[in-house]
Amino acid sequence: MPIVSVPPPYRGPTRGEGRVPVEGATVRECLTAVDVKYPGFAALVLDAEGAPHGFVKLFVGERALTQDDLDDPLLPDDELTVIASIGGG
Amino acid sequence: MSGPTDDKLIRVDMTKQTVTVEDFPDEWKILGGRALSAKLLLAECDPTCDPLGPDNVLVFAPGVLAGTAAPTSGRISVGAKSPLTGAIKEANSGGNPGQHLMKLGYRAVVVTGQPSDAEKRYGIEVDGEGVRVVGADDLKMKWNYATCEALAGKYSKTASFITIGPAGEQLLKGASVATTDQDNRYPARHAARGGLGAVMGSKGLKYLSVDPARARVRQPADKAAFGDLIRNYTKAYQAGPQMFKEGTASVVTVANMLNTFPTRNRTSGQSEHVKALEGKRIIESFETNGGGMHNCMTGCIVQCSNVVHGEDGEYKTSALEFETITLLGANCDLDNMMDVADLDRLCDEMGLDTIEAGAAIGVYMDAGEMEFGDAEGAKRLLREVAEGTEVGKLIGNGTLATGTKLGHKRIPVVKGQALPAWDPRPLKATGVTYATSPMGADHTAGLIVNPGAQPEEYAQLSQEAQIVNAVCDTSGFCQFLQPTLDDIRAFYGALYGEEVTREQIADQGWQCLEDEWEFNNRAGFTQADDDLPDCMREDPIGPMNLVWDVPQEIVQAAKKRLPAREELFAGRATG
Repeated sequence: MPIVSVPPPYRGPTRGEGRVPVEGATVRECLTAVDVKYPGFAALVLDAEGAPHGFVKLFVGERALTQDDLDDPLLPDDELTVIASIGGG
Repeated sequence: MSGPTDDKLIRVDMTKQTVTVEDFPDEWKILGGRALSAKLLLAECDPTCDPLGPDNVLVFAPGVLAGTAAPTSGRISVGAKSPLTGAIKEANSGGNPGQHLMKLGYRAVVVTGQPSDAEKRYGIEVDGEGVRVVGADDLKMKWNYATCEALAGKYSKTASFITIGPAGEQLLKGASVATTDQDNRYPARHAARGGLGAVMGSKGLKYLSVDPARARVRQPADKAAFGDLIRNYTKAYQAGPQMFKEGTASVVTVANMLNTFPTRNRTSGQSEHVKALEGKRIIESFETNGGGMHNCMTGCIVQCSNVVHGEDGEYKTSALEFETITLLGANCDLDNMMDVADLDRLCDEMGLDTIEAGAAIGVYMDAGEMEFGDAEGAKRLLREVAEGTEVGKLIGNGTLATGTKLGHKRIPVVKGQALPAWDPRPLKATGVTYATSPMGADHTAGLIVNPGAQPEEYAQLSQEAQIVNAVCDTSGFCQFLQPTLDDIRAFYGALYGEEVTREQIADQGWQCLEDEWEFNNRAGFTQADDDLPDCMREDPIGPMNLVWDVPQEIVQAAKKRLPAREELFAGRATG
């Protein structure tokens, strides 16, 4: 089962949970699955058009994803890492 | 292998306008920036002194790595007893003066005393020939940009400057210390917090010029190891998310989502005008108005600084940061990015902290003295700082002074210093930092953007963030590079050819905090001062109606050293 790694700024919706195992075959499905369990999470990651916000980066392992990779398949052992801006000025 | 040797420390007595230069102690070689300032102030400054009197001590201290080829490492700390908080204060800035002082081998400039004639103005010149105090009456009450333009005409093209504006000269408690950026020598970088510009003004000091001429980059003891570190660190950074490549303003969107985009004097955590204030508005303006991203100091790989032009295509300001957009924008209920840019420029011209000024104007509006959203009124208030009017002085003296004078109840300060944008109601571990930091409310002292953190984690998270940021602000690295303690000790090891252990680097951060807390204890601060204002308890924020409700035993636990976890060494500096 893939795991979604939640950055600290986004652990409000997940009530402190940093790693969430989910059922999902693609990147998008896994993000949606986290949102089903923890409503409000997906809006922090994806904009109204379903693309990652400019301040969000997604990685599978060490591979950085682009907007075009959201429908890429995830394997059961994959970890999808969400990174968000965490400070500033 | 030894690394940089024969470093010096400059002492300037402003009572007599004399200079002495002494050897910098070898045992202090990995002390710089914030930790060096704290050590000097605890040893040499009477914590009970009048911060604007002759007994205060003003320190300019570049970080340990400044002047080397390490990336984004040239920050300079300014330290003194703060006229705003009455506590010890360190604020740091980018730009090039830190790099230039260190290339000349000067680890700090320590300024004491006060001229007998408060009407006189002076400058300190530092170059390869030595250090001199010179007259600067011709610059009296000049705004910062005009001051730097005049200095650029007087000094070599290789010189950089540290200046104050009219706010500092009037000894206003929200006054900043400006440093010039690398491109145009604009006074666009600021050691902003705590009123250190007023301390500089109290010593009759209008500027420092630092001209390295052809001074070489500082040479490490282990050149191969140092070079490998630079290459590997830069490569890893550039392969990573580079969160600040579009500037800190890019954070606005997520901050608003997290209810930490304070609006209308922090009565809301979200702004109806967020779309107008998003960082992408600045990026879009590059297409229509010009401007762009650049680095504020030589050798920076973060390049988070935006140069904002107006609709006429002319330079307006740099850099328009998240904190500025929040406090001068949303907190005053503004709905236009260019208005915020104008206010930022005015603060830079006056030499004012944009956080303190924005919070003060927010209180002024909240008290009914001006309508929320009145951008032109806000600009008028800032111009009045230069004119020395009563209301100009009120805003220039900061949030507490403004709220107290107006008899207003909602005054968001800790130890007299305005809360930054990051709000302690959704971000309670950050609130523990605001309560316990020797600096007062300061996000750069230990920011934890983790709204899911549990109460039992707050003290540890805050303490770790405070240690990491204290070490970062000692190193000269910018917090936006987000180095870890392991990164910093590796650079120190290669610079001096001696291993710096995890225990040593953690101890350095803790010792810095202890020195600062001890200064504050001697100044008369007690546990009762380690608290957030009533409005944070009484005014809920966000759909969960969050208030500050962290008990004092958790707050105080952050000031008792906790066992070091792996997270301490892997945690990244964040401001």
